[in-house]
Amino acid sequence: MKLGHINLRGDAADTAFVNGAASGLGQALPLDRNTISRSRHRIYWLGPNEWQVVTDLDNVAELVDKLRRALAGRHVSINDVSGGYTVFHLSGSDVPELLAKGCTLDLHPSVFQMGACAQSGLAKAIVLLGYIEETPVYEIIVRRSFSEYLLRWLRQN
Amino acid sequence: MQRNRLDKGGRIDRSRPLNFQFNGRKLQGFAGDTLASALLANGISVVGRSFKLHRPRGIIGFGAEEPNAIMQIGKGDMTLPNLRATQVELYEGMIASSTKGWPSVNFDVSAINDVFSRVFSAGFYYKTFMRPKGLWHFYEKLIRRSAGFGKAPTAADPDSYEHRNAHCDVLVAGAGPAGLMAAMAAASSGARVVIADEQNELGGSLLCGDYQIDGKPANKWVEQTAAALGGMDNVTVLPRSTVFGYYDHNFLAVVERCTDHLSEAQRTGVRQRVWRVRAKEVVLAQGAFERPLVFCNNDRPGVMMASAVSAYLHRYAVSPGRRAVLFTNNDSAYQTAIDLARSGTTVVAIVDSRPHAAASELAASAGIPVLAGHVVVDVSGRRRVTGVRVGKWSGDTADTVDGTISIRCDLVAMSGGWSPAVHLHSHAGGRNEWNDELHCFVPGASTQANRSAGSGNGVWSLSGCLREGLAAGDEAASRCGLKPAGLDVPQAEDPVPMSIEPLWRVPAEKDPDRCSKQFIDFQNDTSVADVRLAVREGYRNVEHVKRYTALGFGTDQGKLGNINGMAVLAECLGKSIPEVGTTTFRPAYTPVTFGAIAGENVGDLFEPVRTTAIHEWHEAAGAPFEVVGQWHRPWYFPRDGEDLHAAVARECLATRNSLGIMDASTLGKIDVRGPDAVEFLERIYTHNIAKMKVGRCAYGVMLGEDGMLMDDGVMARLGEQHFYLTTTTGGAANVLSWLELWLQTEWPELDVYLTSLTDHFSTIAVVGPNSRHLLQKVGCNIDLKKESFPFMSVKDAELGGVPVQLFRVSFSGELAFEVNIDSNHALQMWEMLMYAGGEFDITPYGTETMHVLRAEKGFVIIGQDTDGSVTPQDAGMHWLLSKDKDFLGRRSLSRPDCVRDNRKQLVGLLSGDGKTVLPEGAQLVIDPNAEKPVPMCGHVSSSYFSACLGHPIALALLEGGRSKKGETLHAALVDGSTVEVQIVSAIFYDPKSERQNV
Repeated sequence: MKLGHINLRGDAADTAFVNGAASGLGQALPLDRNTISRSRHRIYWLGPNEWQVVTDLDNVAELVDKLRRALAGRHVSINDVSGGYTVFHLSGSDVPELLAKGCTLDLHPSVFQMGACAQSGLAKAIVLLGYIEETPVYEIIVRRSFSEYLLRWLRQN
Repeated sequence: MQRNRLDKGGRIDRSRPLNFQFNGRKLQGFAGDTLASALLANGISVVGRSFKLHRPRGIIGFGAEEPNAIMQIGKGDMTLPNLRATQVELYEGMIASSTKGWPSVNFDVSAINDVFSRVFSAGFYYKTFMRPKGLWHFYEKLIRRSAGFGKAPTAADPDSYEHRNAHCDVLVAGAGPAGLMAAMAAASSGARVVIADEQNELGGSLLCGDYQIDGKPANKWVEQTAAALGGMDNVTVLPRSTVFGYYDHNFLAVVERCTDHLSEAQRTGVRQRVWRVRAKEVVLAQGAFERPLVFCNNDRPGVMMASAVSAYLHRYAVSPGRRAVLFTNNDSAYQTAIDLARSGTTVVAIVDSRPHAAASELAASAGIPVLAGHVVVDVSGRRRVTGVRVGKWSGDTADTVDGTISIRCDLVAMSGGWSPAVHLHSHAGGRNEWNDELHCFVPGASTQANRSAGSGNGVWSLSGCLREGLAAGDEAASRCGLKPAGLDVPQAEDPVPMSIEPLWRVPAEKDPDRCSKQFIDFQNDTSVADVRLAVREGYRNVEHVKRYTALGFGTDQGKLGNINGMAVLAECLGKSIPEVGTTTFRPAYTPVTFGAIAGENVGDLFEPVRTTAIHEWHEAAGAPFEVVGQWHRPWYFPRDGEDLHAAVARECLATRNSLGIMDASTLGKIDVRGPDAVEFLERIYTHNIAKMKVGRCAYGVMLGEDGMLMDDGVMARLGEQHFYLTTTTGGAANVLSWLELWLQTEWPELDVYLTSLTDHFSTIAVVGPNSRHLLQKVGCNIDLKKESFPFMSVKDAELGGVPVQLFRVSFSGELAFEVNIDSNHALQMWEMLMYAGGEFDITPYGTETMHVLRAEKGFVIIGQDTDGSVTPQDAGMHWLLSKDKDFLGRRSLSRPDCVRDNRKQLVGLLSGDGKTVLPEGAQLVIDPNAEKPVPMCGHVSSSYFSACLGHPIALALLEGGRSKKGETLHAALVDGSTVEVQIVSAIFYDPKSERQNV
């Protein structure tokens, strides 16, 4: 499945925005810091006023449209950024150990729990990292221009 | 023949003999040996030569403190210089050599220095080689060869290294009794624990003596504890791992030597790993260093630390001598005397500087004579101790004492007391306090979340170390919010008490200022006389004395000698030791290889390579790449073996005459939205934003607060509250951070959101008189004619049925379009345009042609034609500065320095000979024959051969340049000659800018 990405900015303290985003997306925004809402889409909390929606690429145009309509007239920013990212999925219990070689976060499952996400460095790239499935599966979202570098780093390790 | 090897005992594996070479000699040791213990087992006395005087030196210590046994290990690309033999585990086939001594350690021609040692006093190099002026470069080579340590390999390092981040509740540095106990206590509470120890096995001092814990040999307790720790999921045990630095926020660096102990054939995988540990709490249990005593010829091979002698006996089953004299000012050496006697070594006497020693009964019961109230005054023997002279001493500070008793011996085991290893505590920012009872510095209050335990905290007894380790582990766990498990303190006995009376310097037999052989720092040949000389010459501060005498420099960083040196300095200055203080303890605790520091950030992973979505096409086309920031951009597209110049000339002409195409995807792209977007951008950019119409573009620059050009690019107004900015390739990340900084910290009242679109959009520039035809040919759903889509406008469009954002902008002065497209479709779009462009001879071009085309138009590149000291006025951009608003940097532009008329200003240059392409960076001078140094008035910032104009062009920054058009100057060339240049306008091509407006 090809993944698409939407960057959404708005004020989490504004109930009308939060409700509008939920109705546009068909899924509530995660409001707890550094968490992912996982349902139809994976919605990453990036900051108090920023989210990244990861979803089927084919959905993106329609979702952007729905969001714009649901949030019309509000101070928001909705950008299709599907072209900008490459996504890696890493699975296995050794993944935290592997990532620890290049990431300064504490990825111990007791600390970086299922459903957690963070924007951080991995090796010398900036990534969005999510713990998205219990088995475990980790999602690494990186700017596409860094993807070859990061793939090389992952392979070497 | 391992003639000094004891018949039994030790933690060596006698069933596994290991062959090795030392300075070309074939020798044998056992698994479990260090290189040092194997050398001692083989009766090797001289292992190196001293730094300055080239005196023969032997092994003195058994660990990180070793100043003499500095080795080159391994051959070829894998060689490691300057390792301490005491810390090198022996492996099969090891090739080791002394790093000092030429042609050999046993016959060193520079040993003549020793004869003239009075000449080689403190500051010798400063004093001697200052004159004649200019000859230092000559001296330096000789001195470096004479004084240098090991040799670095010249080829690339064949090994791999890595870094690893780790987080824990409690980090324990050191796995002796205190560290093991602390780790057990913390781990039992459930804490995540990392325990690191520099040695190959855990146990620390317990491996080096006959200790009992809970009624059993201490080794059993170590085994059980190590096994217990190893079996816990919440514990990471790191042997062969040195905690070498303690930084802010409880961040510690540990280097793990993974394969250095294996023979070269057995090594696979990572050689060394640096652990970057972030610990909530830290327990420092690094132990203590025994101090030498300072007496004449105390550096002779065979003079060793008492603790080292015990360690070699117990841990390695090596007796470093046959007839031993102990020299001490404290009780701990009595244990060594007993250890020696039990091993069968003759202990001739214990020379104790104290008139009464409680421990002397222990010696008496072992039948060892004690010379109380005596000191060793001098040592005989050159390559090996042959005897000592001992004198009676009353304890006064008289400068001389007579050595009346001569004793024959081949081993002197000395102990001047103990100094806690306060290094990590000090790295962390903690001060040290002088303890008048223990006569040593102990860690003072901690400044981070750390505590010291055991002998590293001045606790000398085993029972005390265990107790304190347990308490430290419990406390650390509690601070992490965990409940201590309530472990019991193991029972241990302390056979030898510990008392000490200070003896910082043994009185010499003659004037101490003339005795340069009372060594304080063995590695640097720093003696009592050197410290005294430094004081006589006016040095007072311990840091200055260190630098003048070299006390405490080198691979050992004064682990043995520093405290003695400070005490001698204190005596000279008439101050107390705490008043003099210590020098600063800095990371690394012991040397760390560059390989480990670099980790895996070498070769392909040295720096990220960012590529565009069209990169593979450029590669297939054979383009060489230019590194721009982290990006790899196609430089030019050679055809049929063309070189750079031929390709660029062709690309320039094709673009100006018909059609060029360039991948401009690396431009930074920022989406700006919000009700305050106009106000925000007014403050950021120098031009007027509010006047911009929706659908129009503008060239904009942003300034630093100092008024200097910071970044530039085209920006577009996409809606009333919606803008799109482009930045330079290299500046993209910084600009976004800069904008967010202002929004988040200074102007939080502005409702604006920024989103980076740099990677989402790829940008394809279609450039040249046929660019409009091309877009029409592939099918564009908007009217591209000048009237409906004028220069500097933007529209959403479809190109060949694919949605794009179409800009009519130009960085070449030609009719041009920039196509912004979702990067997922960029390669297809590029290929479609290339295919359709065939009839116009569409020519892909790279960064070089882009540079030439823009220079022909006088467009600057921020960072090439500017250097952070160029204002918009300097660059000829007055027209960009709005007069009716404020913007960042505006006030700075009216500073006197920014308005003076002889600032360097952007001008164009033409070579007088019509053919010389000036080197970029060339200095401009008015009169090349002026007296040197020739005054310089500017420099060339960009320079190319313009195929379109048929001659070279250059941009330059020239003092008062704008008022000097038409004048002639000279540019200095690389070979020292000069070429005449004419100052012209910076716009060389199409000065009325008609071509882009068609």
